[in-house]
Amino acid sequence: MRELEKLFDRIIQRVNINLRELAFDVNPLVRQLIPTGQMTKFYAFYGITPHHPLNLVFKHSNLSGSYFLGRCRVTNSLLYKSDIRGDELKKSGDLFQYQEFNVPVDQDEEIRIDDCYLIKTLVHNFSHDPETLERFFIRDTVSTHYANIHGSPADGCYLGPFATVDLTTMRDCVIGAYAYVQAGEISHLKIEPGTVWVRNPDDFNFMYRYPLNQLNNYIYFTAGSQPQGIFMDFVEDRKEAFQRVFKVVNIETPVTVPANASLDRFAVIKPKTRIGDNVLVAQRAFLQNSTLGKGANAQENCYIINSKLAGNNVTAHGAKIIDADMGTHVFVGFNSFLRGRPDARLTIGKESIVMPHTIIDIRKPLTVKPGSLVWGMVGNAEELEANSMALKDFAKIHSRISRGHMLFEGSGTNFVNAFQERIHHILEANGAFYNGNLNRGHAQKNQNISFNTIQPYPKGDKEGMYPTIIIQP
Amino acid sequence: MKDYIVKDLMVPISEYATVPEEATLYETVMALEKAQETFQQNRYSHRAVLILDKNDRVIGKLSQMDFLRALEPRDANLDQIRKFKRFGFTRKAVALQQEEYLKNSPPILDVYSKAAKLKVTDFMQRPTEGEYVDENTSLDMALHQVTAGSNLSLLVTRGADIIGVLRLADVFAAVFHSMKESESHLSDGAT
Repeated sequence: MRELEKLFDRIIQRVNINLRELAFDVNPLVRQLIPTGQMTKFYAFYGITPHHPLNLVFKHSNLSGSYFLGRCRVTNSLLYKSDIRGDELKKSGDLFQYQEFNVPVDQDEEIRIDDCYLIKTLVHNFSHDPETLERFFIRDTVSTHYANIHGSPADGCYLGPFATVDLTTMRDCVIGAYAYVQAGEISHLKIEPGTVWVRNPDDFNFMYRYPLNQLNNYIYFTAGSQPQGIFMDFVEDRKEAFQRVFKVVNIETPVTVPANASLDRFAVIKPKTRIGDNVLVAQRAFLQNSTLGKGANAQENCYIINSKLAGNNVTAHGAKIIDADMGTHVFVGFNSFLRGRPDARLTIGKESIVMPHTIIDIRKPLTVKPGSLVWGMVGNAEELEANSMALKDFAKIHSRISRGHMLFEGSGTNFVNAFQERIHHILEANGAFYNGNLNRGHAQKNQNISFNTIQPYPKGDKEGMYPTIIIQP
Repeated sequence: MKDYIVKDLMVPISEYATVPEEATLYETVMALEKAQETFQQNRYSHRAVLILDKNDRVIGKLSQMDFLRALEPRDANLDQIRKFKRFGFTRKAVALQQEEYLKNSPPILDVYSKAAKLKVTDFMQRPTEGEYVDENTSLDMALHQVTAGSNLSLLVTRGADIIGVLRLADVFAAVFHSMKESESHLSDGAT
């Protein structure tokens, strides 16, 4: 196992060199997080479909429990139970639109991971950086439990648990626990835990900061201990169900899945779940006693329990919906945690947008009006009033507004439009609008998928390391 | 312009507002007020107070801006809000968020009363290397030093001692005076 330990030290040193200006040391945070013995236990696996290019290269890495799809190259890295999902990468011949430029893509895009330690992290989408169109790079970076690196090339960064970086190139940055950043390009920034920041320079700028004393109940992470709080307890309580789907080779589909929908065999489906047309359920999603109406989706690390999604709902990576009724076209952003109670259901009216990293955790019934924008921490009707606004009113903002812990500046119209266009694009990409002929998306393309497994050296100095593996058609 | 040197323009330290290092914020602004009153009788307008140690050596300076900042409430949240500019927000937006955050804070008179008792050394600016200038330095050299560091004043030295303060206003007046002379000379030559 010496090789594995040497690799760990190498990665930590490289990340710390990048973060020296911020005086940030990742070593005490991550050294004890995953015991090395744990990193030799799990196989890695990859998907083969007729719809996605297959080009996987693994060198001098540990890939324990991780999943790969598409074109990925991993070198000198430790990937623990991470999903590297290359099903939205650009293809040779595509045109990438950036401001007034239409940049041709010369070759198929590749996810390139070098000198990284990613723990239970999702890597998805494609590079939105016009300077690196064909390479979605992640290097010298450490990320922790349930972080999302979504369309965001990263160089020399640290992501805390449940952090998300979305459509943003980042260099030498620290992203605190449960922080969400969508800002185009950032460097040498330390983002405090619980910061939700959405910026399109010269257009709009949204920021919400969780009160730390409240956020700490949900996620708290400090050196020398595992991430703690309601989020971790919630996923840990359901861990066993996933162990079963990863152990069993031929797993039976426990529900009826329409021919135009896709249910990943590495998702957990509990009884009384119904899956409608054009529904997409990704790996590591958890569904229980819930109905997903036509065109709804559940992405990686989503939990939908005792809930009804009326249709065309986007439930982004890591979002959790419990004891809730969602109208049509409701968007629930990354890692949001929406928890009603059996006797206090949460209702979200149609066409509402729940911002990424929103927490709604109620003990009395609560209804969000149709067409609302909701953000931040909501525990009751009063907090909903403070942390929400009708989308049509938000669109009228053209200077700035401050409400509690939220600050917005710029064009409300452009902000709302950007969200709505993105939601439409996500539904389209997921195959929600498939009509049997046109608009095929992930729900249709991911149906015929085979999974192969790969394993590391079982003993000796190289224990836990995977041999160099090249997988091509 | 090259004819002027720093010591021609500086305010001698003996005429500047000073307080000992143990002074409170209130005592410091009182010293400034007294210096302003003296200004009625001489040419110097004072906008800062120098803080002296037990050996009467200058260890810091409290400007009007430092004083106003000292009155601003301080906590970790406000410190974060004040950093919002680095996230692309305008000053107006930062001020708006600060106002929102302080909606439920104590009345301003309580804040002033507490701030008055605070030690000046907690708010003064300690001079950095670029804020010292030798008394025999030429005006154009001093001008470069002021603009490069965006300083409102420089401390004038003679050997190891601080003997005065060169203020932005004095540099401006001297430069302007020189410019006027030069323009008038050119205009005379033309006629």
